[in-house]
Amino acid sequence: MSAVLQAREVHAFYGKSHILHGVSLEVNEGEIVTLLGRNGAGKTTTMRALMGLTPPRMGSVTMLGADTTRWPAYRIARLGIGYVPEGRKIFPNLTVLENLTVPPPRPGPWNLARVFKLFPRLEERQGQLGRQLSGGEQEMLAIARPLLLNPRIMLLDEPSQGLAPLVVQEVMGVVKSMREEGLSVLLVEQNVPLSLGVADRAYVLDDGKVAYSGTAAALAADHELVQKLAGATAES
Amino acid sequence: MTQLLLFNAFNGLIQGAFYALMALGLALILSLNSVINMAHGGFLVIGAYLAYVFAPYVGFAGAIVLGPLGAAAIGMVVERVLIRPLYKRPDPLYTLLLTFGLALVIQDLTRTIWGPTGLPFEVPQILASPVSTVFFFITGYRLLVVALVAVAVIGLFLLLRRTPLGIRIRAGTLDLETVSALGVNIYMLRALNFALGCLLAGLAGVLAAGVLGLTPPMGNSLIMPSFVAIIVGGVGSLVGAILGGLLIGLAAGITTTFYPAASEAVIYLIMLIVLVVRPRGLLGHEGLFE
Repeated sequence: MSAVLQAREVHAFYGKSHILHGVSLEVNEGEIVTLLGRNGAGKTTTMRALMGLTPPRMGSVTMLGADTTRWPAYRIARLGIGYVPEGRKIFPNLTVLENLTVPPPRPGPWNLARVFKLFPRLEERQGQLGRQLSGGEQEMLAIARPLLLNPRIMLLDEPSQGLAPLVVQEVMGVVKSMREEGLSVLLVEQNVPLSLGVADRAYVLDDGKVAYSGTAAALAADHELVQKLAGATAES
Repeated sequence: MTQLLLFNAFNGLIQGAFYALMALGLALILSLNSVINMAHGGFLVIGAYLAYVFAPYVGFAGAIVLGPLGAAAIGMVVERVLIRPLYKRPDPLYTLLLTFGLALVIQDLTRTIWGPTGLPFEVPQILASPVSTVFFFITGYRLLVVALVAVAVIGLFLLLRRTPLGIRIRAGTLDLETVSALGVNIYMLRALNFALGCLLAGLAGVLAAGVLGLTPPMGNSLIMPSFVAIIVGGVGSLVGAILGGLLIGLAAGITTTFYPAASEAVIYLIMLIVLVVRPRGLLGHEGLFE
Protein backbone atom coordinates (compact mmCIF):
# COMPACT_ATOMS: atom_id res chain seq x y z
CA MET A 1 0.00 0.00 0.00
CA SER A 2 1.24 3.44 -0.81
CA ALA A 3 0.64 6.58 1.19
CA VAL A 4 -1.55 9.14 -0.56
CA LEU A 5 -1.25 11.58 2.31
CA GLN A 6 1.78 12.04 4.48
CA ALA A 7 2.30 14.70 7.15
CA ARG A 8 5.78 14.94 8.65
CA GLU A 9 6.51 16.82 11.88
CA VAL A 10 3.85 19.45 11.18
CA HIS A 11 3.87 22.48 13.47
CA ALA A 12 0.97 24.90 13.25
CA PHE A 13 0.05 28.09 15.08
CA TYR A 14 -3.00 30.25 15.60
CA GLY A 15 -1.43 33.66 15.89
CA LYS A 16 1.17 33.14 18.60
CA SER A 17 -0.27 30.01 20.15
CA HIS A 18 1.53 26.88 19.15
CA ILE A 19 -1.20 24.27 18.49
CA LEU A 20 0.50 21.40 16.65
CA HIS A 21 3.86 20.24 17.98
CA GLY A 22 5.15 18.03 15.20
CA VAL A 23 2.26 15.88 14.01
CA SER A 24 3.15 13.04 11.66
CA LEU A 25 0.55 10.82 10.08
CA GLU A 26 -0.18 8.83 6.96
CA VAL A 27 -3.20 7.76 4.99
CA ASN A 28 -2.75 4.92 2.52
CA GLU A 29 -4.69 4.43 -0.66
CA GLY A 30 -8.23 3.19 -0.05
CA GLU A 31 -7.92 3.45 3.71
CA ILE A 32 -10.20 5.06 6.28
CA VAL A 33 -8.04 6.57 8.98
CA THR A 34 -9.55 8.21 12.02
CA LEU A 35 -8.04 10.99 14.06
CA LEU A 36 -9.20 11.00 17.67
CA GLY A 37 -8.47 13.10 20.69
CA ARG A 38 -9.96 15.29 23.36
CA ASN A 39 -11.34 18.74 22.68
CA GLY A 40 -8.46 21.08 21.95
CA ALA A 41 -6.02 18.29 21.14
CA GLY A 42 -5.46 19.76 17.67
CA LYS A 43 -7.66 17.59 15.47
CA THR A 44 -9.32 20.43 13.56
CA THR A 45 -6.03 22.31 13.32
CA THR A 46 -4.43 19.22 11.79
CA MET A 47 -7.17 19.11 9.17
CA ARG A 48 -6.81 22.83 8.50
CA ALA A 49 -3.04 22.46 8.19
CA LEU A 50 -3.44 19.61 5.68
CA MET A 51 -5.94 21.69 3.71
CA GLY A 52 -3.72 24.79 3.63
CA LEU A 53 -6.13 26.88 5.69
CA THR A 54 -3.76 27.10 8.65
CA PRO A 55 -0.52 26.53 6.76
CA PRO A 56 2.17 24.59 8.63
CA ARG A 57 5.02 26.77 9.88
CA MET A 58 7.35 23.79 10.04
CA GLY A 59 7.22 20.27 8.72
CA SER A 60 5.84 19.10 5.41
CA VAL A 61 2.70 17.69 3.86
CA THR A 62 2.76 15.46 0.80
CA MET A 63 -0.48 14.51 -0.90
CA LEU A 64 -0.91 12.43 -4.05
CA GLY A 65 2.78 12.77 -4.74
CA ALA A 66 2.91 16.59 -4.50
CA ASP A 67 4.49 18.64 -1.74
CA THR A 68 1.49 20.75 -0.76
CA THR A 69 2.96 22.32 2.38
CA ARG A 70 2.90 25.88 1.05
CA TRP A 71 -0.02 25.56 -1.34
CA PRO A 72 -3.15 27.71 -0.98
CA ALA A 73 -6.31 25.78 -0.12
CA TYR A 74 -7.84 26.01 -3.60
CA ARG A 75 -4.82 24.36 -5.22
CA ILE A 76 -4.93 21.55 -2.68
CA ALA A 77 -8.65 21.08 -3.35
CA ARG A 78 -8.01 20.97 -7.10
CA LEU A 79 -5.32 18.36 -6.63
CA GLY A 80 -8.14 16.06 -5.54
CA ILE A 81 -8.64 16.68 -1.84
CA GLY A 82 -12.23 17.02 -0.63
CA TYR A 83 -12.72 18.83 2.66
CA VAL A 84 -15.80 18.73 4.87
CA PRO A 85 -15.15 21.44 7.44
CA GLU A 86 -16.06 21.36 11.10
CA GLY A 87 -19.49 22.91 11.54
CA ARG A 88 -20.29 22.10 7.89
CA LYS A 89 -19.91 25.73 6.71
CA ILE A 90 -22.90 25.67 4.39
CA PHE A 91 -23.42 29.01 2.62
CA PRO A 92 -26.64 30.04 4.36
CA ASN A 93 -27.59 32.69 1.77
CA LEU A 94 -27.32 30.30 -1.18
CA THR A 95 -29.73 27.61 -2.25
CA VAL A 96 -28.76 23.94 -2.13
CA LEU A 97 -28.17 23.98 -5.89
CA GLU A 98 -26.08 27.15 -5.64
CA ASN A 99 -24.04 25.61 -2.81
CA LEU A 100 -23.29 22.76 -5.20
CA THR A 101 -22.30 25.23 -7.93
CA VAL A 102 -19.46 26.73 -5.87
CA PRO A 103 -16.90 23.92 -6.41
CA PRO A 104 -15.57 24.00 -10.00
CA PRO A 105 -16.40 20.54 -11.36
CA ARG A 106 -13.47 18.25 -12.13
CA PRO A 107 -13.85 15.29 -14.47
CA GLY A 108 -14.68 11.99 -12.85
CA PRO A 109 -17.54 9.74 -11.80
CA TRP A 110 -19.15 12.32 -9.50
CA ASN A 111 -21.57 14.79 -11.04
CA LEU A 112 -24.72 16.52 -9.89
CA ALA A 113 -26.98 13.63 -10.95
CA ARG A 114 -24.90 11.10 -9.02
CA VAL A 115 -24.75 13.32 -5.93
CA PHE A 116 -28.53 13.68 -6.03
CA LYS A 117 -28.84 9.91 -6.35
CA LEU A 118 -26.71 9.46 -3.22
CA PHE A 119 -28.61 12.19 -1.33
CA PRO A 120 -32.17 12.29 -2.73
CA ARG A 121 -33.14 14.78 -0.02
CA LEU A 122 -30.80 17.36 -1.52
CA GLU A 123 -32.53 17.01 -4.86
CA GLU A 124 -35.93 17.50 -3.23
CA ARG A 125 -34.68 20.59 -1.43
CA GLN A 126 -32.43 22.02 -4.15
CA GLY A 127 -34.27 25.35 -4.23
CA GLN A 128 -34.16 25.87 -0.44
CA LEU A 129 -31.65 28.20 1.17
CA GLY A 130 -28.80 26.60 3.08
CA ARG A 131 -29.98 28.07 6.34
CA GLN A 132 -33.40 26.39 5.96
CA LEU A 133 -31.91 22.88 5.99
CA SER A 134 -31.88 20.54 8.97
CA GLY A 135 -28.54 19.59 10.49
CA GLY A 136 -28.55 16.25 8.69
CA GLU A 137 -29.34 17.83 5.34
CA GLN A 138 -26.58 20.39 5.90
CA GLU A 139 -24.14 17.57 6.57
CA MET A 140 -25.16 15.80 3.38
CA LEU A 141 -24.69 19.05 1.47
CA ALA A 142 -21.30 19.55 3.11
CA ILE A 143 -20.24 16.07 1.93
CA ALA A 144 -21.84 16.50 -1.52
CA ARG A 145 -20.01 19.74 -2.32
CA PRO A 146 -16.44 18.39 -2.34
CA LEU A 147 -17.56 15.15 -4.02
CA LEU A 148 -18.20 17.24 -7.14
CA LEU A 149 -14.45 17.91 -7.19
CA ASN A 150 -14.04 14.16 -7.73
CA PRO A 151 -11.47 13.97 -4.95
CA ARG A 152 -9.18 11.03 -4.26
CA ILE A 153 -8.84 11.90 -0.59
CA MET A 154 -11.64 13.10 1.70
CA LEU A 155 -10.92 15.00 4.90
CA LEU A 156 -13.99 14.90 7.14
CA ASP A 157 -14.02 16.99 10.30
CA GLU A 158 -16.63 15.71 12.75
CA PRO A 159 -19.39 14.80 10.33
CA SER A 160 -21.55 13.34 13.13
CA GLN A 161 -21.51 16.49 15.25
CA GLY A 162 -24.96 17.41 16.52
CA LEU A 163 -26.81 14.86 14.41
CA ALA A 164 -29.53 12.41 15.43
CA PRO A 165 -28.33 8.77 15.71
CA LEU A 166 -30.20 7.64 12.60
CA VAL A 167 -28.66 10.41 10.53
CA VAL A 168 -25.24 9.56 11.94
CA GLN A 169 -25.69 6.00 10.71
CA GLU A 170 -26.55 7.32 7.27
CA VAL A 171 -23.49 9.57 7.18
CA MET A 172 -21.22 6.73 8.28
CA GLY A 173 -22.74 4.55 5.57
CA VAL A 174 -21.68 7.19 3.05
CA VAL A 175 -18.16 7.27 4.52
CA LYS A 176 -17.89 3.49 4.10
CA SER A 177 -19.17 3.70 0.54
CA MET A 178 -16.41 6.24 -0.20
CA ARG A 179 -13.85 3.54 0.52
CA GLU A 180 -15.63 1.23 -1.89
CA GLU A 181 -15.25 3.99 -4.49
CA GLY A 182 -11.50 3.88 -3.94
CA LEU A 183 -11.37 7.10 -1.94
CA SER A 184 -9.00 7.47 0.97
CA VAL A 185 -10.58 9.06 4.03
CA LEU A 186 -9.22 10.91 7.03
CA LEU A 187 -11.98 11.16 9.60
CA VAL A 188 -11.93 13.37 12.69
CA GLU A 189 -14.49 12.30 15.24
CA GLN A 190 -15.61 12.93 18.79
CA ASN A 191 -17.67 9.75 18.63
CA VAL A 192 -14.93 7.21 19.28
CA PRO A 193 -16.86 3.91 18.98
CA LEU A 194 -18.49 5.13 15.80
CA SER A 195 -15.25 6.08 14.08
CA LEU A 196 -13.32 3.00 15.29
CA GLY A 197 -16.19 0.99 13.83
CA VAL A 198 -15.56 2.24 10.29
CA ALA A 199 -11.83 2.98 10.36
CA ASP A 200 -8.91 0.75 9.39
CA ARG A 201 -6.34 2.64 11.45
CA ALA A 202 -6.42 5.29 14.14
CA TYR A 203 -4.29 8.12 15.45
CA VAL A 204 -4.90 9.74 18.81
CA LEU A 205 -3.79 13.32 19.27
CA ASP A 206 -2.99 14.75 22.66
CA ASP A 207 -1.83 18.30 23.19
CA GLY A 208 -0.78 18.75 19.57
CA LYS A 209 1.21 15.51 19.35
CA VAL A 210 0.42 12.02 18.15
CA ALA A 211 0.02 9.99 21.35
CA TYR A 212 -1.00 6.71 19.74
CA SER A 213 -1.13 5.16 16.33
CA GLY A 214 -2.22 1.68 15.37
CA THR A 215 -5.03 -0.32 13.90
CA ALA A 216 -8.55 0.70 14.79
CA ALA A 217 -9.31 -2.80 16.02
CA ALA A 218 -6.39 -2.81 18.45
CA LEU A 219 -7.36 0.58 19.83
CA ALA A 220 -11.00 -0.42 20.17
CA ALA A 221 -9.95 -3.48 22.21
CA ASP A 222 -7.92 -1.39 24.66
CA HIS A 223 -10.68 0.36 26.60
CA GLU A 224 -8.31 1.81 29.13
CA LEU A 225 -6.12 3.42 26.50
CA VAL A 226 -9.11 4.88 24.68
CA GLN A 227 -10.41 6.29 27.94
CA LYS A 228 -7.06 7.81 28.72
CA LEU A 229 -6.22 9.26 25.32
CA ALA A 230 -9.47 10.15 23.71
CA GLY A 231 -11.55 10.86 26.78
CA ALA A 232 -14.27 8.47 25.77
CA THR A 233 -15.15 4.82 25.94
CA ALA A 234 -15.06 2.52 22.97
CA GLU A 235 -18.17 0.68 24.02
CA SER A 236 -20.92 1.03 21.52
CA MET B 1 -43.32 75.53 -10.87
CA THR B 2 -44.50 72.00 -11.55
CA GLN B 3 -42.27 71.86 -14.56
CA LEU B 4 -39.31 73.14 -12.58
CA LEU B 5 -39.99 70.53 -9.90
CA LEU B 6 -40.21 67.79 -12.52
CA PHE B 7 -37.04 69.09 -14.14
CA ASN B 8 -35.13 68.98 -10.88
CA ALA B 9 -36.61 65.66 -9.84
CA PHE B 10 -35.58 64.10 -13.16
CA ASN B 11 -32.11 65.62 -12.86
CA GLY B 12 -31.92 64.23 -9.35
CA LEU B 13 -32.92 60.79 -10.56
CA ILE B 14 -30.15 60.85 -13.19
CA GLN B 15 -27.70 61.94 -10.53
CA GLY B 16 -29.08 59.19 -8.29
CA ALA B 17 -28.49 56.63 -11.04
CA PHE B 18 -24.80 57.60 -11.05
CA TYR B 19 -24.71 57.28 -7.26
CA ALA B 20 -26.38 53.89 -7.52
CA LEU B 21 -23.84 52.59 -10.07
CA MET B 22 -20.99 53.83 -7.90
CA ALA B 23 -22.55 52.47 -4.72
CA LEU B 24 -23.06 49.04 -6.32
CA GLY B 25 -19.38 48.78 -7.21
CA LEU B 26 -18.32 50.03 -3.80
CA ALA B 27 -20.63 47.53 -2.10
CA LEU B 28 -19.34 44.61 -4.19
CA ILE B 29 -15.73 45.48 -3.44
CA LEU B 30 -16.47 46.08 0.23
CA SER B 31 -18.23 42.76 0.73
CA LEU B 32 -15.87 40.40 -1.09
CA ASN B 33 -12.52 42.21 -1.07
CA SER B 34 -13.12 43.89 2.33
CA VAL B 35 -11.72 47.07 0.81
CA ILE B 36 -13.22 50.50 1.38
CA ASN B 37 -12.30 51.70 -2.07
CA MET B 38 -11.54 55.39 -1.72
CA ALA B 39 -10.17 55.29 -5.29
CA HIS B 40 -13.57 54.40 -6.72
CA GLY B 41 -14.04 57.97 -7.96
CA GLY B 42 -10.67 57.57 -9.68
CA PHE B 43 -11.95 54.60 -11.67
CA LEU B 44 -14.96 56.70 -12.67
CA VAL B 45 -12.54 59.32 -14.03
CA ILE B 46 -10.48 56.66 -15.82
CA GLY B 47 -13.61 55.29 -17.49
CA ALA B 48 -14.70 58.76 -18.58
CA TYR B 49 -11.33 59.88 -19.99
CA LEU B 50 -10.71 56.55 -21.73
CA ALA B 51 -14.09 56.92 -23.42
CA TYR B 52 -13.04 60.43 -24.47
CA VAL B 53 -9.82 59.02 -25.94
CA PHE B 54 -11.51 56.10 -27.69
CA ALA B 55 -14.50 58.05 -29.05
CA PRO B 56 -12.79 59.47 -32.19
CA TYR B 57 -11.75 55.96 -33.25
CA VAL B 58 -14.64 53.75 -32.21
CA GLY B 59 -17.51 56.22 -32.11
CA PHE B 60 -19.81 57.15 -29.29
CA ALA B 61 -21.35 53.70 -28.79
CA GLY B 62 -17.96 51.98 -28.86
CA ALA B 63 -16.58 54.47 -26.33
CA ILE B 64 -19.43 53.76 -23.93
CA VAL B 65 -18.36 50.10 -23.97
CA LEU B 66 -14.58 50.49 -24.09
CA GLY B 67 -14.30 53.20 -21.40
CA PRO B 68 -15.74 51.01 -18.61
CA LEU B 69 -13.84 47.94 -19.88
CA GLY B 70 -10.62 49.98 -19.71
CA ALA B 71 -11.42 51.03 -16.16
CA ALA B 72 -12.06 47.37 -15.27
CA ALA B 73 -8.75 46.26 -16.80
CA ILE B 74 -6.83 48.94 -14.91
CA GLY B 75 -8.75 48.01 -11.76
CA MET B 76 -7.68 44.41 -12.16
CA VAL B 77 -4.03 45.40 -12.44
CA VAL B 78 -4.33 47.68 -9.40
CA GLU B 79 -5.91 44.86 -7.40
CA ARG B 80 -3.20 42.42 -8.41
CA VAL B 81 -0.24 44.71 -7.82
CA LEU B 82 -1.26 46.98 -4.94
CA ILE B 83 -4.18 45.50 -3.05
CA ARG B 84 -3.49 41.76 -3.07
CA PRO B 85 -0.36 42.05 -0.91
CA LEU B 86 -2.49 43.73 1.77
CA TYR B 87 -5.19 41.04 2.09
CA LYS B 88 -3.22 39.18 4.73
CA ARG B 89 -3.44 42.20 7.01
CA PRO B 90 -6.83 42.05 8.66
CA ASP B 91 -6.97 45.78 9.45
CA PRO B 92 -8.98 47.55 6.68
CA LEU B 93 -7.05 50.73 7.41
CA TYR B 94 -4.17 49.64 5.13
CA THR B 95 -6.29 49.35 2.00
CA LEU B 96 -8.26 52.45 2.94
CA LEU B 97 -5.08 54.50 3.07
CA LEU B 98 -3.73 52.86 -0.07
CA THR B 99 -6.84 53.57 -2.11
CA PHE B 100 -7.04 57.10 -0.69
CA GLY B 101 -3.53 57.74 -1.97
CA LEU B 102 -4.39 56.07 -5.25
CA ALA B 103 -7.37 58.42 -5.68
CA LEU B 104 -5.02 61.42 -5.42
CA VAL B 105 -2.53 59.86 -7.83
CA ILE B 106 -5.23 59.14 -10.42
CA GLN B 107 -6.60 62.66 -10.15
CA ASP B 108 -3.19 64.25 -10.60
CA LEU B 109 -2.25 61.92 -13.43
CA THR B 110 -5.47 62.86 -15.19
CA ARG B 111 -4.64 66.51 -14.69
CA THR B 112 -1.12 66.02 -16.02
CA ILE B 113 -2.22 64.10 -19.10
CA TRP B 114 -5.38 65.95 -20.11
CA GLY B 115 -4.98 69.29 -18.33
CA PRO B 116 -6.91 70.84 -15.45
CA THR B 117 -9.66 72.41 -17.51
CA GLY B 118 -12.84 70.63 -18.43
CA LEU B 119 -13.20 68.80 -21.73
CA PRO B 120 -16.47 68.30 -23.56
CA PHE B 121 -17.68 64.76 -24.17
CA GLU B 122 -19.50 64.93 -27.47
CA VAL B 123 -22.89 63.27 -27.48
CA PRO B 124 -24.39 62.53 -30.93
CA GLN B 125 -26.71 65.30 -32.06
CA ILE B 126 -29.71 63.01 -32.21
CA LEU B 127 -29.33 62.19 -28.50
CA ALA B 128 -28.64 65.74 -27.39
CA SER B 129 -32.01 67.18 -28.40
CA PRO B 130 -35.10 67.03 -26.20
CA VAL B 131 -37.61 64.34 -26.97
CA SER B 132 -40.57 66.69 -26.41
CA THR B 133 -41.08 70.43 -26.01
CA VAL B 134 -43.13 70.16 -22.83
CA PHE B 135 -40.52 68.10 -21.03
CA PHE B 136 -37.66 70.08 -22.53
CA PHE B 137 -35.20 68.61 -20.02
CA ILE B 138 -35.69 65.00 -21.14
CA THR B 139 -33.12 64.55 -23.87
CA GLY B 140 -32.49 61.34 -25.70
CA TYR B 141 -29.16 61.12 -23.92
CA ARG B 142 -30.74 61.23 -20.50
CA LEU B 143 -33.15 58.48 -21.47
CA LEU B 144 -30.15 56.50 -22.72
CA VAL B 145 -28.48 57.00 -19.33
CA VAL B 146 -31.53 55.65 -17.53
CA ALA B 147 -31.76 52.70 -19.92
CA LEU B 148 -28.08 51.80 -19.70
CA VAL B 149 -28.07 52.01 -15.91
CA ALA B 150 -31.09 49.71 -15.85
CA VAL B 151 -29.36 47.29 -18.22
CA ALA B 152 -26.19 47.32 -16.11
CA VAL B 153 -28.13 46.69 -12.91
CA ILE B 154 -30.15 43.84 -14.42
CA GLY B 155 -27.01 42.40 -15.97
CA LEU B 156 -25.23 42.49 -12.63
CA PHE B 157 -28.12 40.79 -10.88
CA LEU B 158 -28.27 38.05 -13.53
CA LEU B 159 -24.53 37.57 -13.20
CA LEU B 160 -24.77 37.17 -9.43
CA ARG B 161 -27.81 34.92 -9.65
CA ARG B 162 -27.21 32.73 -12.66
CA THR B 163 -23.48 32.30 -13.27
CA PRO B 164 -20.97 30.23 -11.29
CA LEU B 165 -18.81 33.35 -10.98
CA GLY B 166 -21.65 35.33 -9.43
CA ILE B 167 -22.65 32.49 -7.12
CA ARG B 168 -19.04 32.18 -5.93
CA ILE B 169 -18.88 35.94 -5.32
CA ARG B 170 -22.03 35.71 -3.18
CA ALA B 171 -20.66 32.69 -1.32
CA GLY B 172 -17.34 34.45 -0.80
CA THR B 173 -18.88 37.51 0.81
CA LEU B 174 -19.88 35.30 3.74
CA ASP B 175 -17.15 32.67 3.88
CA LEU B 176 -14.21 33.11 1.55
CA GLU B 177 -12.17 30.41 3.29
CA THR B 178 -14.71 27.68 2.55
CA VAL B 179 -15.00 28.87 -1.05
CA SER B 180 -11.24 28.41 -1.33
CA ALA B 181 -11.35 24.96 0.29
CA LEU B 182 -13.86 23.96 -2.38
CA GLY B 183 -11.30 24.58 -5.10
CA VAL B 184 -12.14 28.13 -6.18
CA ASN B 185 -9.16 30.36 -6.94
CA ILE B 186 -10.06 33.15 -4.57
CA TYR B 187 -7.25 35.39 -5.80
CA MET B 188 -8.83 35.34 -9.24
CA LEU B 189 -12.31 35.69 -7.73
CA ARG B 190 -11.34 38.82 -5.81
CA ALA B 191 -9.55 40.28 -8.84
CA LEU B 192 -12.60 39.74 -11.05
CA ASN B 193 -14.90 41.18 -8.40
CA PHE B 194 -12.72 44.27 -8.05
CA ALA B 195 -12.71 44.65 -11.83
CA LEU B 196 -16.50 44.29 -11.87
CA GLY B 197 -16.81 47.12 -9.35
CA CYS B 198 -14.46 49.27 -11.44
CA LEU B 199 -16.48 48.44 -14.57
CA LEU B 200 -19.57 49.93 -12.92
CA ALA B 201 -17.58 52.98 -11.82
CA GLY B 202 -16.24 53.39 -15.36
CA LEU B 203 -19.76 53.19 -16.76
CA ALA B 204 -20.92 55.85 -14.31
CA GLY B 205 -17.98 57.98 -15.49
CA VAL B 206 -18.76 57.65 -19.20
CA LEU B 207 -22.43 58.40 -18.68
CA ALA B 208 -21.74 61.30 -16.32
CA ALA B 209 -19.28 62.76 -18.82
CA GLY B 210 -22.11 63.21 -21.32
CA VAL B 211 -24.11 65.18 -18.76
CA LEU B 212 -21.45 67.04 -16.79
CA GLY B 213 -18.42 67.06 -19.11
CA LEU B 214 -14.94 65.85 -18.16
CA THR B 215 -12.84 67.30 -15.36
CA PRO B 216 -10.07 65.61 -13.36
CA PRO B 217 -11.93 65.93 -10.03
CA MET B 218 -15.27 64.76 -11.48
CA GLY B 219 -15.16 61.65 -9.30
CA ASN B 220 -14.92 63.64 -6.08
CA SER B 221 -18.44 65.02 -6.25
CA LEU B 222 -19.81 61.51 -6.79
CA ILE B 223 -17.80 59.42 -4.35
CA MET B 224 -19.06 60.77 -1.03
CA PRO B 225 -22.77 60.57 -1.96
CA SER B 226 -22.11 57.01 -3.13
CA PHE B 227 -20.80 56.04 0.30
CA VAL B 228 -23.86 57.74 1.76
CA ALA B 229 -26.05 55.69 -0.60
CA ILE B 230 -24.56 52.48 0.84
CA ILE B 231 -25.14 53.61 4.42
CA VAL B 232 -28.70 54.72 3.67
CA GLY B 233 -29.49 51.55 1.71
CA GLY B 234 -27.84 49.24 4.20
CA VAL B 235 -24.28 47.90 4.15
CA GLY B 236 -24.18 44.48 2.51
CA SER B 237 -27.35 44.92 0.47
CA LEU B 238 -26.93 45.56 -3.25
CA VAL B 239 -30.60 46.39 -3.70
CA GLY B 240 -30.17 48.83 -0.82
CA ALA B 241 -27.23 50.49 -2.59
CA ILE B 242 -29.40 51.14 -5.65
CA LEU B 243 -32.33 52.33 -3.58
CA GLY B 244 -30.09 54.57 -1.46
CA GLY B 245 -28.48 56.09 -4.54
CA LEU B 246 -31.77 56.89 -6.25
CA LEU B 247 -33.28 58.20 -3.03
CA ILE B 248 -30.57 60.70 -2.20
CA GLY B 249 -30.29 61.78 -5.84
CA LEU B 250 -34.01 62.44 -6.01
CA ALA B 251 -34.01 64.23 -2.65
CA ALA B 252 -31.13 66.47 -3.73
CA GLY B 253 -32.93 67.24 -7.01
CA ILE B 254 -36.21 68.14 -5.35
CA THR B 255 -34.44 70.27 -2.74
CA THR B 256 -32.81 72.26 -5.54
CA THR B 257 -36.25 73.51 -6.56
CA PHE B 258 -36.98 75.04 -3.18
CA TYR B 259 -33.64 75.83 -1.63
CA PRO B 260 -30.69 75.15 -3.96
CA ALA B 261 -28.08 75.86 -1.29
CA ALA B 262 -29.27 72.86 0.74
CA SER B 263 -29.27 70.36 -2.13
CA GLU B 264 -26.02 68.79 -0.98
CA ALA B 265 -26.72 69.04 2.73
CA VAL B 266 -29.98 67.15 2.35
CA ILE B 267 -28.04 64.00 1.40
CA TYR B 268 -26.26 64.03 4.73
CA LEU B 269 -29.45 64.93 6.55
CA ILE B 270 -31.06 61.76 5.14
CA MET B 271 -28.05 59.75 6.25
CA LEU B 272 -28.32 61.26 9.72
CA ILE B 273 -32.01 60.39 9.98
CA VAL B 274 -31.44 56.83 8.74
CA LEU B 275 -28.56 56.32 11.16
CA VAL B 276 -30.66 57.51 14.08
CA VAL B 277 -33.91 55.74 13.20
CA ARG B 278 -32.60 52.60 11.48
CA PRO B 279 -28.84 52.24 11.88
CA ARG B 280 -28.58 49.14 9.70
CA GLY B 281 -29.96 51.10 6.72
CA LEU B 282 -33.17 50.67 4.78
CA LEU B 283 -32.46 47.09 3.63
CA GLY B 284 -29.59 46.36 5.96
CA HIS B 285 -31.03 43.10 7.22
CA GLU B 286 -30.99 41.53 3.82
CA GLY B 287 -27.32 40.81 3.38
CA LEU B 288 -25.92 40.38 -0.08
CA PHE B 289 -28.81 39.44 -2.31
CA GLU B 290 -30.83 37.21 -0.06
